Amino acid sequence: MNLEAFKQVNCSQTKASRRRDLASYLLTAPALIWLLVFFLVPYLIVFIYSFLSTDIYDVSFKFSLSAYRQLFSGIYLRPFYLAFRLAFITTFACLILAFPVAYYIARASEKMRNMLLILIIIPFWTNLIIRIFSWRIFLSYNGVLNTILLRLGLISTPLELMRTDFTVLLVMVYVYLPYMILPLYSALEKMDFTLLQAAMDLGANEVKAFFRITLPLAAEGIFAGSLLVFIPTLGAYLIPQLVGNQRSLYVGQVITYKIKNIPRNWPMASAMSFILLLLVAIMLIAMYAIYRKRTLAKRNV
Amino acid sequence: MDELRIENLSKDYDGFLAVDNVSLTIQPGELYSFLGPSGCGKTTLLRMIAGFEIPRTGRIYLGGQDITDLPPYKRPVNTIFQNYSLFPHMNVFDNVAFGLRIKKVPKTEIKDRVRKMLTLVKMEDQAAKYPSQLSGGQKQRIAIARALINEPKLLLLDEPLAALDLKLRQHMLIELMNIHDAVGITFIYVTHDQSEAMSISDRMAVMQNGNIVQSGLPDDIYERPTSIFSAYFIGETNLITGEVIGIEDEYVQLRCHRGNGEYFEIDSTFHFPPTLGSKLTVSLRPEKIAITRSKPRNQDDFNILRGTIEDILYVGTHTQYIVRVGDLKFRVFSQHKRVYFDEKALDWDEEVWLFWHDTDSWLINEVPDGVEASVEPRSLPQRASRKGIPAEV
Repeated sequence: MNLEAFKQVNCSQTKASRRRDLASYLLTAPALIWLLVFFLVPYLIVFIYSFLSTDIYDVSFKFSLSAYRQLFSGIYLRPFYLAFRLAFITTFACLILAFPVAYYIARASEKMRNMLLILIIIPFWTNLIIRIFSWRIFLSYNGVLNTILLRLGLISTPLELMRTDFTVLLVMVYVYLPYMILPLYSALEKMDFTLLQAAMDLGANEVKAFFRITLPLAAEGIFAGSLLVFIPTLGAYLIPQLVGNQRSLYVGQVITYKIKNIPRNWPMASAMSFILLLLVAIMLIAMYAIYRKRTLAKRNV
Repeated sequence: MDELRIENLSKDYDGFLAVDNVSLTIQPGELYSFLGPSGCGKTTLLRMIAGFEIPRTGRIYLGGQDITDLPPYKRPVNTIFQNYSLFPHMNVFDNVAFGLRIKKVPKTEIKDRVRKMLTLVKMEDQAAKYPSQLSGGQKQRIAIARALINEPKLLLLDEPLAALDLKLRQHMLIELMNIHDAVGITFIYVTHDQSEAMSISDRMAVMQNGNIVQSGLPDDIYERPTSIFSAYFIGETNLITGEVIGIEDEYVQLRCHRGNGEYFEIDSTFHFPPTLGSKLTVSLRPEKIAITRSKPRNQDDFNILRGTIEDILYVGTHTQYIVRVGDLKFRVFSQHKRVYFDEKALDWDEEVWLFWHDTDSWLINEVPDGVEASVEPRSLPQRASRKGIPAEV
C-alpha cells in the first residue's frame, strides 16, 4: 500500500471513531439529563436550604449557619450515631447470615440454584410496608409468637418484642438480607471450588483455606453487598418508625419530623440530609479507592 | 525409603464401583503412570492417594505409614491439578509460597526457597505476575513449583498436559522428566494418552473398569499385552481370532476363518500354555507387518497373506493401509523408505503381500466378545477420498 492510500484509510478511521464518540455521547445523554434534573438539582436545593433561616411553615431566604451550629452542638449527633451503629450491625449481621446461604446456593446443582434464587427474590414481590406490618402482627404483645409461646407454656406473661432496638435490627436484617445474598452469590458462583482442594493439598486446613482463598475471592461480593445494605440502612425511616421506639430516633426519622412537625425546620432537615450524603459519599470514595488499588495491583504489574 | 503401597483399595459412588480392589506398590523415585480411558478409575485412585476421596475398603501406606485416614493437608503428598488451580488473587510468588506460609516458615527462608523453585521451573523473572497473565505452559510450571516447594514424598499429576497444545505438550513432557530427575521424588502420572504415558513412565498400569489390567514397563505392555484391552488401548493393533491346531516347542499354529468357509493359518509365539482346539486371539501391531507388491523370498519363520488394498491414509510419518484379506481387514503401517529405485507407490485395489515374523504375532488368552473372527480395527478413520475424488457416501 502506498503512503497516500494509507493516509486515506487512516483518515477515514478517525472519522469513523469520531462518529462513534458522538453516538456514545448521544446515547448517554438521557441518563445524564435525568440525573442532572432529578438528582443533582434537588440536592442543590437541599444544600441551599440548609443555609437559610427557619420559619413556622417554610423558610425565610436569609443566610444563616444556625442549622449547622445546632447540628454539631450535640443533641443532633445521637441520631447519626444510632443510624451508623444500626447500619454497621445490620451490614455485619447480614454478611454473617448471607455467606453460608450464598455459599450453599453457589455449590448447589444448577436446577436447585435457580429454585433457591427465586425463593430469595420472592419477598420482593410483597410491598415493604406489608412485610413490616406482618412482623408487627407476629411480634406484638398479643401477636402470633407470644400466643404460641404462651400456649406451649414456655412463658407465663407475653414478652415485649415490639418497639425495641433489637426489633429494628431484626426487621432491618430481614429486609436487607437478600441484598447481601445476591452479590455474594454472584461472586462465589464464579469461584473455582477446586482451589479449595488445591489449598488443602498444600497444607491448609478447612479454616485456613476459607480465610486465604474463599474470603479474598468473595471480596467483590462482600464489597457490593455491604454497600447495598449499608447505605439504605443508614437513612432508614420506615422500619424504625413502624417497629422502633421513640427513645432511639434514627437520623431518617429526625429529618422527617423536622419537615412534618410544626414549627417546621427545613434548614435543619436539609443540613442533616446534606451531612448524611457527605458521609456516605466520603465512605464510597474511600471504598472505591481501596477497591481500585486491589484490582489495579492484580492487573498491571 | 518411601515406597507407596496400596492394598485392596476400593471406592464406589452410589453402587458404581469406580476403583475395584486395586493393590500395587510404587518404588521410591519412580515415575509411575495410570493409563486408561475416562471412567476407568485412574483419577479416583489418584484422589484417594491425595486424600480427596475416602476409600470404601483398603489401605494406603507411604513409607510404611498408614495415610488412609489422613486429611489431604496432613499428607506428605502434593498434586498438580488438571486445570492447575492457581490462586487467581495471588501473584506467582505468593502462589508458590503458599505451602510454606501455611507452615509458618521464616520469611527469608521462604524468599530463598521460592526463588530456587522458580529457577527450577525457569520462571524466575515472572514472580510478580498474576495467573491471568500467564500462558498455559507457564501456569503449568508454577503449579509444579507450588507443589514441589513443599518437598512432598509423592507428586501426583492429574492429566497435567491435557490443556496444552501438541508442541507444548511434547516440550513439557521432557521438562517434567528433567524435573523428576532433578528432584528425585516419586511421581504418579495420570493420563488417557498412551504415547504420553509410554514416553514418560518408568512403569505404568493400564486400567479398565476400576481394575489394573496390566502393569509393568511401557515396552513390555506394548510388545506383550496380556489382554485384548491393553493391546487395544495402547497403540493400535490387529486382532485375529483362531483355533489352535498345532503346538510345537516355541510356536503355536492357529487356523483362522477368513470368511466364505475359507481358512488361513498363522504361526505365533506364546507365553502361556495353550490347549489344542481352543479359540484364542493374536495381537499383531500394524508396524510389524511388511507390505509388498512382489512375493517375499524368505518364507521360513514368516506368516504370509495375500490381500487387497482397500484404503490408504497418508499421515506424514508413515502411511496406513487397510488391507482386505477375505472378510478380514488388516491395518498396516509402512514408513516411506525407498528400497528400490523403481519402486512405485502402492495404489488402491492393488493386490499385495502381507508378511511378518512369527515372533511378532502375540498370543492373547482371550477371544473378543461375541465375535468369532473379526479384526475390524478400532475407530477406523473415515474412508479417505481417492486422490481428490470424493469418497462415495
